[in-house]
Parts: sequence; C-alpha cells; structure tokens
Amino acid sequence: MKVIRSFLKIFTVMVFLFLYSPIIAMVIFSFNESKSLAVFTNFSLKWYEKVIANPEVWRALYNSFWVGAVVTIISLILGLMMAMAVTRYSFTGKTILESFILIPIIIPEIAEALSLMMMYIFLNIPLGPVTVIIGHIAFDISFVTVVMRARMVGYDKSIEEAARTLGANELQTFFRITLPTLYPAILAAGLLAFTLSFDDLIKTLFTTGPGFKTLPLVIWSYAARGGVSPELNSLSSFALSISFLFAIFRLRAERRMGR
Amino acid sequence: MSEVYSVELENVVKRFGSVVAVDHVNLKIRENEFFSLLGPSGCGKTTTLRIIAGLEEPDEGIVKLYGKDVTDIPTYKRNIGMVFQHLALFPHMNVFENIAFGLKMRKLPREEIKREVKRILEIVKLEGLENRRINQLSGGQQQRVALARALVINPEVLLLDEPLGALDLKIRQHMMVELKNIQKRVKTTFIYVTHDQTEAMTMSDRIAIMKDGRIQQVGAPLEVYYKPSNTFVASFIGEAVNLIEGEIKENGIVDTSLGVIYCSEQSAKGKVAVMIRPENVEIDEKIDGVDNLFKGIVQAAIFKGSYIEYRVDIQGITFIVHKHGEENLGKIYPPGATVEVGWKKNSSLIIPVQS
Repeated sequence: MKVIRSFLKIFTVMVFLFLYSPIIAMVIFSFNESKSLAVFTNFSLKWYEKVIANPEVWRALYNSFWVGAVVTIISLILGLMMAMAVTRYSFTGKTILESFILIPIIIPEIAEALSLMMMYIFLNIPLGPVTVIIGHIAFDISFVTVVMRARMVGYDKSIEEAARTLGANELQTFFRITLPTLYPAILAAGLLAFTLSFDDLIKTLFTTGPGFKTLPLVIWSYAARGGVSPELNSLSSFALSISFLFAIFRLRAERRMGR
Repeated sequence: MSEVYSVELENVVKRFGSVVAVDHVNLKIRENEFFSLLGPSGCGKTTTLRIIAGLEEPDEGIVKLYGKDVTDIPTYKRNIGMVFQHLALFPHMNVFENIAFGLKMRKLPREEIKREVKRILEIVKLEGLENRRINQLSGGQQQRVALARALVINPEVLLLDEPLGALDLKIRQHMMVELKNIQKRVKTTFIYVTHDQTEAMTMSDRIAIMKDGRIQQVGAPLEVYYKPSNTFVASFIGEAVNLIEGEIKENGIVDTSLGVIYCSEQSAKGKVAVMIRPENVEIDEKIDGVDNLFKGIVQAAIFKGSYIEYRVDIQGITFIVHKHGEENLGKIYPPGATVEVGWKKNSSLIIPVQS
C-alpha cells in the first residue's frame, strides 16, 4: 500500500512538471538577457521593453479587450436567458435544446471555425471584428449556459414569490432579487467567457479580416515568422499573466458561488 | 347584520392537469381571525393559500379581500403578507434590508422605513440584529425575520404556509404561543396552513379541514373535535377515535355489529357511524350507570405518561380506551384480562360515513 501511495505521489508531481515546466521555462527565459533559449545569462527586462515599444502589440491588446468585453456581455445575456428557459419552464424540444447547448463544447474548434468561415463567405459577410465577435459568442454562450444552469437548478423560486407578495412587480423582482442572487454565477460565467474569448486563436484566425488582429494572433504570427524568440517569450508571458489574473478572479467568484 | 370578511372564496376550483387540487371551495374568513387550513399533504390547502395570495390563478370562482373582487389582480397589488414554508428570505440582504423590502417597494420615506422596521423588530423580539446576515441567524430567528418582513407592510391578511415545519419541537411549541400573541397584538387576519393538528388546535379561532381539494368541515377547535361532520374529520382530528359503522334503528339507537348502541343524537337515516372518543370510555371489572356496556378482552395496555391506552377486543373489533387519573395508573389490566367497557349515550355521536 505504502509503495503504491508514494508512487501515486511521484506520478502526480511528474504530471504537473510535464504540464507546467515548459510554461515556467518560457516565463524564466523571457527575462534572459541573451538571445539564447538554452543558457540563462543575466536578468533583464529588455525583451519586455521591446514588446511594450511595439505598437502592433498594443493595438492587438486593445482589440482583444474590447472584443472580449462585447462577447462577454452578449454571451451573458443570451446564456442567462437560455439557462432560465431550461431550468424554469417545460416546453417541447427542451431536451433537444439542452443537448444542443453542449455541442459547441464538444465538437473540435477547428471544424466550427472552418464552417463559420465558409458560412461568412457564402453569405458574403465581410470578415472583420464583427465576424470574430459572432464566432466567439457562438461557443461562449454554451459555457455561460452550463455554468448558469448548474447554479439555477437548485434555485429557490419562492424568494421571487416572496418579493411579489411584498409589492414588487416582475421587473423589480428580476432586478432586485433574481439578478443579485445569481450575481456570483454571472460573475464566474462572465470571467470564463472573457478568458475564452481572450485566449482564442483558431476561431479568430479563421474569421478575422485583413488588418484586424487580437493578441493571440500577433503571438502566432511572430511564432510563424521567426520561430521561438525571447521577445515572443515575453509577449506570451504577458498574455499569460492577463489570463491568469482573470482565472484567479473566476476561481474566487466560484468559491463565493459555492457558499 | 352584515359581518366583515377579510377573505372570501366563492366556488374556487384549481386543476393541475387532470388533478383537481381545489374543488369548489367556499370560505368566509372573518376579520382578525386566526384561521387554519388543516389536512393531509396533497389535500389542496397550500394551493388554496396560494390562490388567496394570487400566486396561483383559479380556474373557476372568485377571490375577495375585504369584499373587493381581486381574482384578476396580481399578487404585488393585493396587500397581503406571506410567510413561506422554507421562509424564502433574501440571501443577499441583511435582516434590515429583508424587512424593509416591502416598505421600499411602497416608496416610503427613509425615516419612516427605519421607524417601521424598528417597531416590527420589537414585536418579533429581534431588536439589535438589523445588520446580521441571514445565514448568521438561528432557525427560530430566521422564522421571526420572515414574519416581520410579511407583517411590516401592514397586510390586510397574513398567509402562513407551514412556517413551523422546519423547526424542532421545543422551538415550535414556543413559536406557536408567540404567533398567537403576535396575532393578537397586530390585529390582522392570519390564515395558517398546516398538516399538524396540534398547531391548528393550539392557535386557531376556526379550522377548515380539507381532503382531496374539498372542505370537510369548518369550525372552532372544540367543534371539530367533539362534533366532527364525518368519519374522515373524526379520525383525522384527535389522537385516536373509535368508529363503529351501523344503521339507524330508531331515534338515537344504532344497530351495529356489536349490537345496539345508544347515542345522543339522531336526525340521520340509513348507514351511519358511531363515534366514541377514547377518553370518554370507562374500563373496569364492573361498571355501573352507563348506557352502553360491553365485555371485552384486553389486547394491549400501553403506558403513555398521563394516561394508559388500552386496546380491548370486543367481539373481534378493537376498541381504544384512554384511562386517566393517578388512582388508575397503579392498576393496569394485563393483556388477556376480561374487562367491562362502557360509556354514556351522550358520549357516542352519530356521524355520516364519509363517501
């Protein structure tokens, strides 16, 4: 037994090492003074300075943020409506709808991205920020709905009825009771939606138009152009830290939701 | 003379699919009355309450509050208060905000809201807890917040849906007394839904007993206990009852499988049941001065504290007798003993058999 247990411990550590050591190495070497990716010579911020001085990075970061914000807001509204529909009402086709919600999570992103692009071309919709946003929303609503639905399954509807007996109409009940009690779930779902949009490469790549780049696209174009470089390391670390920050916020929101 | 009714239901029907939850219910609830809807689960009592609140729309019939037809008026315009089974306190608000919610909806000035909340907190004995979060309160305290929140708006009627169900016995007993006191103090009609007859008997001025969506009887606690309208009410109310079916022979005499039983009342005809409460029955080796006397064999004698419950076999029918009094507790007839069981004719009541 003891042997098995210590083996499991070592195995777990190995898995995490395998998963995270490349990322840790990337972050460490982003601070390397020399161009080498093998030998760490001196601590330096010069690659970061280079990244910061690059206007293309700033433009891409700005694009990523506003696309993420629009995607998050629209996905939240649609996802909340969907979650409310499937948890509160019974209607024909409900089970089919519930499995349809999961499809974008299950099917390969590349297939989704490709089919979206083909649809845009077929319908003659010019590629650009709008098509990127639609593409992000198309799979973000699934995640938002799943998170919200999990929260709303145990939702006690009688608090809304209580509000109505106290003189609140439907609108007042929604904004003063329903929305605030769902707030932790909305926050968690929103941060998840934003992170997914912020990190997305494949879909953005297939649905964007000339000149419109998000941060992952810029990173990818650097990597495609010149392979790995310290500048790319620092740019990726930069993007990583932003996603990481949102992940922390989300975990905190989820913990609050569990309470 | 016209009496003021706070709530009137006229021929109210509510169906859920093919199930008739409320079946032509007629009720007139008096002003400032403590009125209970009592019945087994699924009898339609909660649906009836929700119809009064407007949370459920009746398929047929009329709901009136103080003489005004409110059948088509939405809940939030009805000026009723409601305490829910699982309290339904707002988890994202503290005690003060919970109680003040109804007053805010009525757009009262801030100062008045503060004053009113303070007043009601005093009545429910929760002074000083305004800033507590709901999950920091005990079950009994949460109960009081729910009550305060519903009462602070000065509702025309307060509806309570089994609010004590979640509390343990001791707090429940305490809250029963308190609820009745609060009701007297605030002078509001309370309509109380419960499946627990002790709660209904303890607090109510009148009780409506329901079964299968229909009202079986409406009356004061004493009335429904001693003068049940049918066999269902007789067996539902009280700890135990003896019901013997038979046929009216002549005025006050019923022919049963035990033989003739002499009863106090009569007017009924045909098939009836005779009801005898166990505490009105005497049991001894030899009994004098009773109208109905039977010989039986003790099957079981159960000591229940303040009385002994006997199960006596009389010609194949099990008869329940409750024997009170200290002098009797020392002398218990063991199973197998032959005893006499008897009662006076005004202790046996003729009631219709519930169809």
